[in-house]
Amino acid sequence: MTLRPSNPLAQEPRYELITQVLRSNIASGALPAGLVLLEGPIAALMQSSRIPVQAALRTLALEGLVHRFVGRGYLVGPPYQDIAPLRRDIAAFDLKIPQQVDDALQTRGTWKHFYDEVEEQVALCQVFGEFRIVETELADYLGVSRTVVRDVLSRLQERGLIAKNASSHWIAGPLTARTLREKFELRAILEPAALRLAGPYIHHSQIEAFRDRIGPDPTLKPEGLEAALMTYCIAKAPNTALVEMIQTNQMLLTSVNRALTGLGLPEDEIALDQYRTLFDLIVRHPIDSAAEYLRDHLQIMAAKNLARMKIVAVISETVGFAPYLAVQ
Amino acid sequence: MALAPPAAAPLAAPPHLPRRRLRVRGTSITLLKEVRERAQADLGFDVDYELMDFITCQRQAAMQPEGYDIYEQCFHNLDIVWFWGALQPIDTDRIADWNKITDLSKEGGISKYAWRGHGDAPVRKLYVQPGGFLGPKQGRYISMLPTVHNMDSFGFDTRVFGHGDVKRPSWAWLLDRRAKGRIALVDEPAIGFFDAALAAEAGAEVQFTDIGNMTIAEIDALMALLEDRRRQGYFCASWRTGEEAAQLLLDDRVSAQSMWSPVYGHLGKMAEVFVESAPVEGYRAWHGGASLSRHLGGAQLDMGYDYLNWWLDGYAGAVMARQGYYMSAPERTKAALAPEEWAYWYEGAPAARDLLGPSGDVVVKTGARRAGGTYQDRANRIALWNTVMEEYNYAARSWDRFIRRVNEGQK
Repeated sequence: MTLRPSNPLAQEPRYELITQVLRSNIASGALPAGLVLLEGPIAALMQSSRIPVQAALRTLALEGLVHRFVGRGYLVGPPYQDIAPLRRDIAAFDLKIPQQVDDALQTRGTWKHFYDEVEEQVALCQVFGEFRIVETELADYLGVSRTVVRDVLSRLQERGLIAKNASSHWIAGPLTARTLREKFELRAILEPAALRLAGPYIHHSQIEAFRDRIGPDPTLKPEGLEAALMTYCIAKAPNTALVEMIQTNQMLLTSVNRALTGLGLPEDEIALDQYRTLFDLIVRHPIDSAAEYLRDHLQIMAAKNLARMKIVAVISETVGFAPYLAVQ
Repeated sequence: MALAPPAAAPLAAPPHLPRRRLRVRGTSITLLKEVRERAQADLGFDVDYELMDFITCQRQAAMQPEGYDIYEQCFHNLDIVWFWGALQPIDTDRIADWNKITDLSKEGGISKYAWRGHGDAPVRKLYVQPGGFLGPKQGRYISMLPTVHNMDSFGFDTRVFGHGDVKRPSWAWLLDRRAKGRIALVDEPAIGFFDAALAAEAGAEVQFTDIGNMTIAEIDALMALLEDRRRQGYFCASWRTGEEAAQLLLDDRVSAQSMWSPVYGHLGKMAEVFVESAPVEGYRAWHGGASLSRHLGGAQLDMGYDYLNWWLDGYAGAVMARQGYYMSAPERTKAALAPEEWAYWYEGAPAARDLLGPSGDVVVKTGARRAGGTYQDRANRIALWNTVMEEYNYAARSWDRFIRRVNEGQK
């Protein structure tokens, strides 16, 4: 019954819009090199929550437009050029926000605006057990209609983060070692196969660029390399159904991983070396060798993720859950 | 191991020179006053002990490795603490008595033919493997220096169950109707959970394909059984420390409960009726040790190694023996114990005289015999090791909810 908004950008995810604004303002020089970008002020400026801003900054970091440094936040500019941090309020800069984007950011009511925030909360809670999502509470929490809430929930269902139980309640979790194991088994079957198919379509220069940054660029994290492997290698496979299957299978893992890192779980240093070897095999050897290595790497990742599932047991449940999540 | 006096102060230590200090975080298993005082005297530096219960200790060790230099705990919780990156590998080349440590610790069983037990034998967490994992493949670097260990069981009231001579004790007694309302469990999820699991399987209430690595369905089945028993009023309490376990007995509130060895020495008159079991199914074993915090380096790391080496030297093993714990390097322990002590604790012989505990009070009366017999007998009958299973997060959270309900006495 709702009117379809006339603004085509209104359907874009919020992080996508924020990425666009930041990207164009970095390109125009409105945001100078070295400026420290912090989630909070950007979120305030864009009238958004922090989660889409985090996603936007991660995307820009992957593109090399911003980079992490020893302090909080990101610096504008490519990594390792020794740019001095410039700490000023982003509101003081003459940021260009195209009218259409601004309107789209103001538009409430499209589910994509809220999706990332809800996904992160739903992913995190699963580590602690089984939760019911109360639709009315979620609508109140987001300040939107039940229709929008249902859109958000059906997307979460597609991504495998929630399911309906026998009494038609939306249930999240519990995330178990078995779930993780199964997802990684599937990855070890699908991803090397996709990599083989993708071989002829991979741009070696892109992969070399990533490989050469591993080590010298301390801001490059395993998650970033995993995303690069997906974007520049596996997703090039000329089989859309296979690529979609891989992406869907990874979704729960990615969101849980992000949630756990947010809780302060340690980062995996050894994975960096493995990505270096993998990228090297991709650009310098027959693709079969890279595919075999990827399968081994995924088995190691599975073991690490299972170990990680054990250690979250020490985190007490006082982290606080969003009000629409009810412990079962 | 004595420390040379500082060269700059030949007469007396100047007051402004701070004493060197090693900070040890651990549990009541090993953090005993008698051990600390002797270690300080032998090593020439201060040893600070920070005593915590199992769960708190594990959490703090994982998340705040800067807060301690040495971590004394059990092998099974390396799954947590090691993977938080809180510890550093120990170089066995710097452990003088490494070759005196027995095969139970280093190989996984006291002999080639001994049954290894379900779950994670300590050897499976001992050696540092490529990629930062822990495993049984022998190498120079280890995660934790193996020290004390024991084979635990439950304790029972002979007025209720008899003396165990007509019908041998079974873990099933821990969920037995005869003890209804007078059963207590230890609340640590990697320990009490398995006491309950052994009891449930021994009583043929639940079956596990692998009790040391349960599936979600098996965990659910066990927790459902325990919840049913709880609603019927089987459990009177849970406990976290040996003192709490002893108090439950002194107050005559329990007829069967999880037990730790040192508690038996502090039961007063109750010792006549409440005894240690040697269950037909075998023991639930655990193995303790000491690890080096990630941040240690330089002179501080040297002190850490001095302390680890000192642990194998005999004295600490003797103190441990007097509370019923075995030592990974028994030769030197034997030398540090009186022959009657060694005969009672390790050889299962009747006590030739009253034996004293670590703090000097009588814990074993003349003529008493240790349940289960010799060290060899007991070590050959390990049913299960304390384990952090794959589904530990799920199991521990279910267990915690259960324990909370037990303590709140909810209907």
